[in-house]
Amino acid sequence: MRSLFAWADTLESSIWLRESLNAYPILLTAHVVSMCLFAGLIAFWDLRLVGYAINKVSVTEIPKRVFPWALTGFAVSMITGSLLLYSKPLTYYANFYFWLKMGMLVLAGVNMMYFHFSTYRAVSAWENDQKPPPAARYAGVASLLLWAGIVVTGRMMAYGGLVPGWWKALNLDGP
Amino acid sequence: MLQPFFEWMQGLSLSNWILTATWASPILQCIHLLALVVFSGAVLIVDIRLLGRGLIKTPLAQIARAAQPWLFWSFIVLLLTGLPQMASTALKQYYSPHFWWKMQTMGVALIFTFTIRRKVALTADDRLGKYLPKIIGLISIGLWTSIAVWARLIGLLS
Repeated sequence: MRSLFAWADTLESSIWLRESLNAYPILLTAHVVSMCLFAGLIAFWDLRLVGYAINKVSVTEIPKRVFPWALTGFAVSMITGSLLLYSKPLTYYANFYFWLKMGMLVLAGVNMMYFHFSTYRAVSAWENDQKPPPAARYAGVASLLLWAGIVVTGRMMAYGGLVPGWWKALNLDGP
Repeated sequence: MLQPFFEWMQGLSLSNWILTATWASPILQCIHLLALVVFSGAVLIVDIRLLGRGLIKTPLAQIARAAQPWLFWSFIVLLLTGLPQMASTALKQYYSPHFWWKMQTMGVALIFTFTIRRKVALTADDRLGKYLPKIIGLISIGLWTSIAVWARLIGLLS
């Protein structure tokens, strides 16, 4: 795995991104703004599932009409995030919070897929309930916690020194 | 003119504590960012509706009322976590043009959000014209997006 990151680190386009004066601020700012678009709207979807916000809105209206906006934010966030990773592959490879964030992204995806193919299939029975069934509420709470974790670990990536001792002992920075 | 005030903020023991305590700054920043996400959602769910998209089957005023407590309380958390951070780096902020752009835009955005936008968002749909809500939604998105951009640039370019 490290050799893949080390290889990307030597590519000309990666070096260009790393050394460009404007690329990093532009990418990071676009990443944060698109994250606000995506995570902000997903938070309201999750809060609706939990039964805490916009309770009078039909549950099925949100995926149809709000998800296209949220997914646009997600796409920009993914592109800018990937470019940020590509600009400093070895720095991120050694970053504890980067891997924690990636792990939570996978779990958020699994939670979303599981919900979509199980609880959501019977949505017509509860789409107008102000308090959705327990399975939907659990999925909403799990999603809220995971996305909050993704936002927090994303911010904590700037604090690469504040990590557990066992992570430092792995010495992923290289020889 | 405000330099002595910023120097005073920088000299507070709270500022010193935030700068020296290992976890103070990251914890404040993480809570600030989480509040920003909730705030963005509360703004956007209404702004998108103002643009005539999003939750169009639900009356605009109903969405605006539902989003209002989230908007208000997340903004309070933004203030409570933002002010100590600002105090701890007060002189850096004072000399950053992005900080002043952020504050000026924030003043305009707050007045706009809690006056004109609120009035339009709480008006019945059939009493709103075709273009006014769209203009209000666009202005709101523009103002809050530029605040997020200036805020991010304070840390990156100052």
